[in-house]
Amino acid sequence: ISFLSDLKRMNKRQVFYQFLSFGMIVSSALMIWKGLIVATGSESPVVVVLSGSMEPGFYRGDLLFLTNDLEDPIRAGDIAVFRIKGRDIPIVHRVLQVHERDDGYVKFLTKGDNNAIDDRGLYAPGQLWLEKGDVIGRAKGFVPYIGMVTIVMNDYPKFKYAVLGLLGIFVLLNREA
Amino acid sequence: MSQENAPIKIDKWDGNALKNALDDAAKKIMNESYGLVESFKLIDGRLALCSIAVSCSLFALLWDFLYPFPASKTVLIICVACYFILTGVISVYLLYFEGGVFYVGLEKDKAGIDPDDKWTLQSSLKKYDDQYCLKITYTGGVSKQTRSVERVCSVTEFFDEEGTLCYDLYEATVKGLKDSLSADKKAK
Repeated sequence: ISFLSDLKRMNKRQVFYQFLSFGMIVSSALMIWKGLIVATGSESPVVVVLSGSMEPGFYRGDLLFLTNDLEDPIRAGDIAVFRIKGRDIPIVHRVLQVHERDDGYVKFLTKGDNNAIDDRGLYAPGQLWLEKGDVIGRAKGFVPYIGMVTIVMNDYPKFKYAVLGLLGIFVLLNREA
Repeated sequence: MSQENAPIKIDKWDGNALKNALDDAAKKIMNESYGLVESFKLIDGRLALCSIAVSCSLFALLWDFLYPFPASKTVLIICVACYFILTGVISVYLLYFEGGVFYVGLEKDKAGIDPDDKWTLQSSLKKYDDQYCLKITYTGGVSKQTRSVERVCSVTEFFDEEGTLCYDLYEATVKGLKDSLSADKKAK
């Protein structure tokens, strides 16, 4: 195969550079992600909507952009992304009721727009309210449909590894001029 | 690099492969026919910069793993800023310092006293184009003067229909270029 001849003629330094190029691409993606985390203040600044509980506003597969400004008070109507303690998957629902104390303690109740009942059934046993610490961020913008790729990749992990593997091999074996 | 004498065969429609084949052949000619010693300083500079950038991002990854956000905020900001500054530096380095240079060969002084003369090879081949430009620059070790000559040829002059490099033809062209510079040197 002719492209192998390109690779066989590379010296040690050029081979090392191929791996470094791959490393640079991964690092760039990583640094952009960490940069977003710092810029938005949210530990997960981009999330995918997984269920239809916020229709017709958000559909399954929409990509959401979050910020987590702790100074900005939580108000009813905000679309909050939160995690229930002990569970991995973040939930995207709307804030229904907010209670604020003078000392700054805030507790609030959420509900999906498309759900018949509020989220108390989803909270941990005994938990009736959410607190600021449960919030990953609040939605500031969205892009429709694009998140479906992530959903498919997570439903079929072999597909994800195949795509990533192929991309990696392509980068490693592609010798640039 | 192994001393293979098998002819180089590539996909003649792949611009990258064409340029790489011609560059590799030129390197081989300079090393073998003229006994130049290849200097890797330029490449090592680039490798070092990229390695530092990648280590920066790996450090950020590790730190954030050990001390999850928001405790890691300051370290993350520093690492991200460093990384992108380094990326900018690397781009500048590639554009101005390397600028298409794919080979630097040192001509050792026979007496071993004077600093080495430097032969630099640069090439360019635009995407989807057939015009390969080879530039040889001579920098005197003692005089510090530079002289260069460049030649633009179509890649069709050196590759046959199968995509095999006609080494002899290319060797003649490269040697002709270099010798014209050497002759210039002697004449002056």
